[in-house]
Amino acid sequence: MTTPIQEVTETLDTSGLLCPLPVYKAGLVLSRLAPGEVLHLITTDPGALEDIPALARQRGDALLGVDNQGSRQLFWIEKGSQQ
Amino acid sequence: MTISISNTLNTDRHLSADRRLRRFEDIRQLLPDIDNPSPLVRVNRIVPSASQVFLKLEWFNPFGSIKDRAAAYLLSGLEERGALAGRRLVEASSGNTAIALAALAALTDTPIIITIPEGVPEEKKVLLRMLGAEVWPTPDDLCPVDNPRDGAIALARSIVESDGGEGYVWPDQYSNPDNVRAHYETTGPEIWRQTEGQIRTFVAGFGTCGTISGVGRYLKERDPSILVVGVEPQPGHRLPGLKSFREAKTPAIFDREVVDEVIQVDDEPAYAMTKRLFREEALMVGPSTGAVLEAITRLISLGLVSGLDSPGLTVGISPDSGFKYTSFFAAGLGEEGLPEDESRKTEDGR
Repeated sequence: MTTPIQEVTETLDTSGLLCPLPVYKAGLVLSRLAPGEVLHLITTDPGALEDIPALARQRGDALLGVDNQGSRQLFWIEKGSQQ
Repeated sequence: MTISISNTLNTDRHLSADRRLRRFEDIRQLLPDIDNPSPLVRVNRIVPSASQVFLKLEWFNPFGSIKDRAAAYLLSGLEERGALAGRRLVEASSGNTAIALAALAALTDTPIIITIPEGVPEEKKVLLRMLGAEVWPTPDDLCPVDNPRDGAIALARSIVESDGGEGYVWPDQYSNPDNVRAHYETTGPEIWRQTEGQIRTFVAGFGTCGTISGVGRYLKERDPSILVVGVEPQPGHRLPGLKSFREAKTPAIFDREVVDEVIQVDDEPAYAMTKRLFREEALMVGPSTGAVLEAITRLISLGLVSGLDSPGLTVGISPDSGFKYTSFFAAGLGEEGLPEDESRKTEDGR
């Protein structure tokens, strides 16, 4: 998946945090965003490559893009409308 | 006056207290031990009179549950090892351990974060916030890839293991042997003395397994023929404090060797028995007590516990009272106990 061209509403940098802490913090931010707004999430735990897509599926959000840069992972998540 | 947590387990607690007068210098002096046991109360109407069944009412402890014991030992152990100084506490708890830890932490101005399963009753979360704790409601399936149904535990672990985690300390009631030691040194000896050694069966729910491991080990050392029974809920249950090991990881402190039987109890019979305990025994218990007594009635039906032909006592653990579960009970009661709606009666033509 490539980096999407999308306006980011909020950026959350969880560098240094181990899963599921980034998942939890991302969930908190997404909960207060409005439908259609986009969270740009930065993680450094490779476990996030599985956990964040699972979070988006669970919540009904859209995972717009993932950029795995090795030492860190970038995600773009759009808040779903069914919440 | 400053009393350190360790002092709750040491001699200082006895200096000014007069238990005969029920006068205490500090709430921690009410923590249970062999000389200040939580009460054993007989169940008289729900079970046959030949079966001498007693519940150990842990809600008489100062912070309201059996977890007062574990919390005091966990904090005391951390303090003695120098692991507590200047750090914030983090613990995963369905509420009772958290409440006891938060109460003890409040006395020493120790900050505390509680990762708590989302399904826990609101009453417990509010009590924790009243005690000054930071409460992180956590979905059980927060981490579906690695930690099914244990989201709060996984989150607590990740806080202390992440960068900056050195500022936190995790008592970890699921893995810390001090949890078992609390029950080996207090609950077990209390039961042995209170039953004058006549206990034949001990029943407790599976949660952290500190109670059943510690009490079970103590009782088996006194008499290996004592039957030790664990109570396990259904997957996806609504019995806070209990764990189904069909969906959650088995705690590291669990000593399987001391458990003879496991009884599965689902939500419905547990809540039905809880209601019976309120109405037939005037025991205002939490739902996990209902699960424990439901298991005991099944053991009686199976002829596995004492009766006319086999004297001896059965002791079940009543971990907490029903006061923290009123929202759960209200949902189950529906319209029961409310005045009949006369206008509806008229509209229906009855």
